[in-house]
Order: sequence, then C-alpha cells, then structure tokens
Amino acid sequence: MPNIHRIGDSSLQVNPSAKHKLIRDSVRNFAETELAPLAAEIDRGAFFPRDVIEKMRPLNYFGLQVPREFGGAALDSISAAIVVEELSRVCAAIGLCITVHNGVAVYPFLRFANAEQKKRYLPRLASGEFIGAFSLTEANAGSDAGSVETTAVKNSREYILNGTKIFVTNGGICDVALIFALTGFEPGRPQSSVFIVESKYPGFMRGELEDLCGMRANPVSSLFLEDCRVPEKNLLGKIGDGMKIGMATLDNGRLGVAAQALGIAQGAFEAAVKYAKERQQFKKPIASLQTIQNYIADMATDIKAARLLLYHACARKDEGAPFSCDASMAKLYCSTVATRVTSLAVQIHGGYGYSKEYDVERYFRDAKVTEIYEGTSEVQRMVIARAVLSQWTF
Amino acid sequence: MMLKLIVCVKQVPMVAELPWDEKTGTLRRDLAPGMMNPACKHALEAALQIKDKFAAKITVISMGPPAAEEVLREALAMGADEAVLVCDKLFAGSDTFATSMILQKAVKKTCPKFDLILCGAYTADSETAQVGPQLAEELNLPSVAYIEKLEISGRTLRVRRLVDNFRETLEMEFPALLTVSMENYKPRYAPLAGLESAFAGKGITVMNAAELGLTAAAMAAKGSRTKVRQVFLRKAQKGNVLLQGTASSVVNEFLDKYQRKIGAAIGKSIEGRKLHDEK
Repeated sequence: MPNIHRIGDSSLQVNPSAKHKLIRDSVRNFAETELAPLAAEIDRGAFFPRDVIEKMRPLNYFGLQVPREFGGAALDSISAAIVVEELSRVCAAIGLCITVHNGVAVYPFLRFANAEQKKRYLPRLASGEFIGAFSLTEANAGSDAGSVETTAVKNSREYILNGTKIFVTNGGICDVALIFALTGFEPGRPQSSVFIVESKYPGFMRGELEDLCGMRANPVSSLFLEDCRVPEKNLLGKIGDGMKIGMATLDNGRLGVAAQALGIAQGAFEAAVKYAKERQQFKKPIASLQTIQNYIADMATDIKAARLLLYHACARKDEGAPFSCDASMAKLYCSTVATRVTSLAVQIHGGYGYSKEYDVERYFRDAKVTEIYEGTSEVQRMVIARAVLSQWTF
Repeated sequence: MMLKLIVCVKQVPMVAELPWDEKTGTLRRDLAPGMMNPACKHALEAALQIKDKFAAKITVISMGPPAAEEVLREALAMGADEAVLVCDKLFAGSDTFATSMILQKAVKKTCPKFDLILCGAYTADSETAQVGPQLAEELNLPSVAYIEKLEISGRTLRVRRLVDNFRETLEMEFPALLTVSMENYKPRYAPLAGLESAFAGKGITVMNAAELGLTAAAMAAKGSRTKVRQVFLRKAQKGNVLLQGTASSVVNEFLDKYQRKIGAAIGKSIEGRKLHDEK
C-alpha cells in the first residue's frame, strides 16, 4: 500500500452525535427565523444587519470555540462547522462574518496570545462587543503571503505601522484587526509579525466598502495604516512569527470557508429540489425527467462527500493531529462543490434561476468567492501536493 | 424562597414533514425527526421568564422513548436545571389518563415539593389537551388551561386566558398547574454555550416503571380508559353550485338548501322568509 493513505487517516464518527443534531436544529431555527426574511434584501442593498448581529451576540455566535472562562461556547470543531454551515445555508454573508471573526480573528488569540492579551481581548471578542478581522492580503501580496509590504517600526514602547490592506472581510465594521507587517529581514527573506490593532488607534482608517459580486451584505473594505501607533504589548506571538501565525490561522480558517461553501451548496440544493418537484413542463414535474434527476443525484452525492471530508478534517483538528492538508482538501472540495451545485441549481431553475426573484441567483454569486479567499483552489492544491509528495519515501 | 417549577415536555414528530399512510390511517412517526412540542416550548419559556425574575429551579419531565432525551437536552440548553426522562417499553400505548397517572408518580418521586407545574396546552401530534388538566386532577391541584399570561405575587398566582372569545383573569395559590397556550411566551433561542453544556453536565435522570412503583394494570392499554377506534383524514368536499333563474327563484332555492345552516351560524331562524315574486 502506498503510504499516501496516511493523509487524512483518522477515526470519524459517521453518524452525527445527538449534540450535533441539536446544534444544527437550533442554528437552523435561528437562521430560518431571523436571517431568511432579510437575506435577499441585505444582499441587494449591500447592507450589514446590525439588529440581527445584536441578537446573535448573547447566543455565543461570536465565541464559538472560545473557552467558557472567557465567555465563549467552547464548541468542538464539528459543531463550529455546523454553525457556519447552517448560517450560510440561509445567508452566506452572515456566515462569512461569523466564520472570519471566529476562524481567523479569534483563533490566533487562542493559539498565540499571551495571558494578558487573552484576558484583555477574548471576553470582548467572544461576546461580539468587538468584531474581528484578519488582514494579510495586500495589493501585491495575495497567494504569495510572504510579499507583505506594510511595515512596523519600533519607536520606544510602540510600533508605528504603515501600509494598506485590501479585501478585508468585516473591514467596514471591525473593532480589532490582526495586521501582518514587515518587521525586518532574516537572512534571505523578509520577516513579518502580527499586531493586534484596534480601530480606535490613531492612524487607523477604513476605505470605501468594496462593491462585490457576492457576499454583498458583508462590509469588505481596505484598511489604511498611516503612522498607526500600536502599543508594544499588542504584538501577537514574537517578532518574526508572522508566517507561522498566518499559516496556522489559514489552516483553521479553511475549515470555516469549507463549512460556508457546504452551507451554500446545501441551500441551493434544497431550493433546486423543491423547484424541480413543483415546476411543470411537458405536463409533469421536471423532477421526473432523467436529466434533472441526474443533476440532483450528482448534487446530493457531491454534498455528502464534501460534508464527510469537512467533518473528517474537523475531527483531526480536535484530536490534536496535523490537519493542514485535510483542511485544504476540505476547502478545495467544498468550494468546488459549492460552485458546481449552485450552477446546477440555477440551471434547474432555468430563466427564473437567473432572476433575483429566486434565491439560487444569490447562492450562485456567493459560492464563487469560496474558491478564492482563504487561499485559492490553486493554493490548496499546492498545499495538498506538498503534503502528499513529502510523505513518499522514494 | 426558591420557587420549584416543573415543566412537562413532549417530543413530537415534525408533523409538517410527516408522511401520512392513508391506508392504515397512521402517521409515519418513524420517518419524522423529533422536536419539542411547540406549546411545551412556550410552557418552558414561561418557566424561564419566572426564573429571570425570581429565584427558581426548573425541572423538566418528559415521558417518552429514549430519543425523547433530545428535547430534555434542548430544555437544559435553554436554561432548565434538571431533567427527568420517564421511559419504559411498558408505557407504550398509554392514553392520556394513563400518561397523567404515570407523570403524577414521576412528579411525586422526583420533585414532590413543587410550587408550580407548567404544561403545553396541547400537543401537535394528538391535540387532546387532556394530559395537563388530568395531571392536576391526579395531584389534586388547582389548575387553569390555555393561559396566555401569568403573574406571581408572593404565593399567589394570577393568570389570564382567552377561551371562547372571553378573556378571564383568575387567581390561585401555589401549588398549582397551568397549561400554556401559544399566544405569548415566544420561546427563546438556546445559546450555543447552553447546547454544549447540556451534553456535558450531570445528565438526565431516567426512571422506569419499576422505579416509579407502577404495575402493569396502571399502564399502557390496561391502564387506559380510552381507545382509538379509527383515525382518518377528513375529506373536504368542496364544489361549486350554480343557481340559475330569476332573482327570487335563485334566492328561494338558495334558502331551501342553506337556511338551516345559515340560521345555525347566525343564531336565529330565518325559515319562512322567502321572497315572493312581485306581481
């Protein structure tokens, strides 16, 4: 047997536990009651629904995996994925706000913050008093995360940050952002570090909100740092930890984006099945036509495979096993499934699917970006291939 | 003084999604996911609102199969303190009379010094609305069904309900039993932390027939006073009737056919009020 089978090898409970079922039912109830009536409207108006966010705060949506002592829900990773999946099934833009906040803004605090930083920020992040953002991407640093140009220069007991971050999810509303900046050069390559930057610090500014294809209710913006003064104690980890923190955080964030893609696929799939059973052509429901049945069979199979792959990666993470490759596989596959399934859902709806009157049009637009952010599908393949090739001993 | 509240909850199938077998006249319960009966959830919310204001401890009790544990976990997640599952294969087939008798035993065994029992006014799967009032009889308690509002002042309970288009306000002393309608008390969402701890905490007390000191005669078919003879779908027989002719003949034909029904609906007879052609 080739040892490739080591990758992703993990015990997995195939039947969801009673807890996972109850969490799914509960979040679904919330999403269908509170988000469904708004989802189309906030997409069209590119409007961030503060009222709903206020309802989500006391229900621990902003502290999914934060320990109890800091006011979080302390969920396991499959539960956290289910939460994001169920929110995204109804409203992907809110799913995005929650997964970015938890997956890449809060997670680095859990992994890399010192005790004082945890005490200062985790309760406020977990309660949603502070909404978080993760700022790595720049005009010239996307997939090539090592090319960050923002700088941080030590000045007495502060760091002075200068640079521009782009496409920052939650950028328009974040209260605290993790900023990746250059702090020097190691032999042969630049050395980056991560800073906890509050939006109230002098020199922190937001750009206009981006006018995007999908996820329109999320306030994605640029962030400008102009001689932004950040206290020395707000360095996350150590100087030079930027790449390490960035990569570990993205591994975790990919589980969230995979969950989001899966939720979008599920929502579009259900809409397509409902429509196929209702829509009459040739004097019968189109669901009785073999072509449509083939689409539905493929969509159902894709979604189930994607879900198992994602939960498997989550289980690996909770076991404390390396999960970088599994997270990339889950993200690559779930996002591919999301674009494929939403495209078929539009196809099944025919002309109506191309109209904003039907939700599948929104799902179709929302799905695409899951193949792009938190590492493009090309980057995921790079990660997976590296992991696979490094395991072959000849 | 800590108030001791009991909420009875039932797991019901999600009826909207439940296939119906017309031949046998039964719901395919096996195919449906379970959920907490909506009126029971409102009763739990009423208890939680009492707990928001006063020092109170909430015990939820459910009689059902092992899967009913799910609704007890949900109740714990929403804020209940203790959960009791009354579960035994011997209970299967119990009618409302036997059920209230079994619940009475469970109440006396697990929380005998209660102040108030809250039940949902009715269940979504059978809609008899009998178990609450019958349980009150078994425990010899004052009870009010279909309440939409409650206030507590010392040991006095004041409740409001709407029945037959009359709004009543009633008062009673603890201990008492209420069944809660779905008018108010919109259930809160369970926080995610609550859902997580509902599975991590001390767990659910499970009690079987022997532990409750029940004999076969009191349970299931033997302990039941009612028997379901037939379950059927009511067939709506709608059809359009076109009356033709002169105005007076149409009106008279209409009255011939429907005057009794109209009279019954408006509460007075309209017989003998036919039109006569003007000549």
